[in-house]
Amino acid sequence: MAGASMKDIKLRIKSVESTMQITKAMELVASSKLRRAKEREERAYPYFSALRDTMDRIEDSTTDFSSPYQVRRTIERQCLIVIAGDRGLAGGYNSNVFRYYEALVREDPIKTCIIPIGKRAYEYFQRRGADIVTDAFVEAAGIMVGDCFELARLITKGYLAGEFDRVSVIYTRFVSLLTQTTDSVQLLPLVDYREEKKEQTEKGIEPLVLYEPSANAVYDTIVPHYISGMIYGAMCESVASELGARRTAMDAASKNASAMIEDLSLRYNRARQGAITQEITEIVAGAEH
Amino acid sequence: MSTFHLTVSTPDGQMFDGEVQSLRLRMLDGDLGLLPHHENYVAGVGAGEALIVTENGEKRRAACIGGLLSMLDNRANLLSTTFEWAENIDAERARKAKEVAEHRISEAKSAKELTLARAKLERALVRLKVRG
Repeated sequence: MAGASMKDIKLRIKSVESTMQITKAMELVASSKLRRAKEREERAYPYFSALRDTMDRIEDSTTDFSSPYQVRRTIERQCLIVIAGDRGLAGGYNSNVFRYYEALVREDPIKTCIIPIGKRAYEYFQRRGADIVTDAFVEAAGIMVGDCFELARLITKGYLAGEFDRVSVIYTRFVSLLTQTTDSVQLLPLVDYREEKKEQTEKGIEPLVLYEPSANAVYDTIVPHYISGMIYGAMCESVASELGARRTAMDAASKNASAMIEDLSLRYNRARQGAITQEITEIVAGAEH
Repeated sequence: MSTFHLTVSTPDGQMFDGEVQSLRLRMLDGDLGLLPHHENYVAGVGAGEALIVTENGEKRRAACIGGLLSMLDNRANLLSTTFEWAENIDAERARKAKEVAEHRISEAKSAKELTLARAKLERALVRLKVRG
């Protein structure tokens, strides 16, 4: 444990230091991107919530209302949109999504087709030989509102054509900077989230509204937009979660690296001291003769 | 001059919020003019030019593509997929998009590709027209 090992330790310290620089940089990048991802979601929120309000109003005020998007059929085939990341180094973010998927399928083993979003998701399902509907939305980072519209159109069309009887999306909810939980939401058939709320709010007289060409037609044109809003919201949350998970993972990695550097410097100093002591002993021993 | 309140929201944020004198919009089956105290009205929006006359008589034009218009109790709410003020439209980008779409139409192999390219072309044409 002398000269050669001193050099070894020095090299290791250098390599750990450069790794720490990278993890620190990644942490900073993730934090600033995270802020932007949250803003993006907040900007889009009023638009989609207004769509939902209009849908609710049509459901409430129209007596002979029916929509193919609300009809419940026996579920034989489902379509799952699975949102994961493009890259690793984000702690358990990707594997949590896949674990959630596996549990979901084990619980309810029906025929399933997949629309993967994110390179990691695509690779995962390709490896398992899953039935992939489209690989047009593989890159999670570059997905814009327009892509979500396209995806929503694809889903609603497939749903109306009977290609699948239920569509859900698996995404990661951004609870806080430190906690992100994997969750799933059903897109089609449409679920009425207000069932409990309805009884509480005493309804007054709804104002008469002219729908052109008809309430049903307006409703059915809104649905794809609404679905794309749900997908976009899930996308934004997932992206924010990925960045949050990466930030936490990189923070831990940086802390580990600095602990390692501390430990290695201690060893380096001990080795240096040992070498000096040995040298002195040798000189003293030589002088005595 | 009587006015009504108009808000324009898109997935990219709110584009307009204020009192206007009138609004002209391309709906699914033709143009619609909206004046103050219109009856309660909800309809789908097509792709075309939108003309807003603001409170002080200023005329503003925009490209408005897809969405929903609602008028309830003299408050109009335009939820649009795309809403771009004429002065903000990137003509160069729209021209390029038009060329790409035309190229795709001539080479489309399936009906799905064709409809997609046609929709893209329509959007580009609306942008170019509004930009002028």
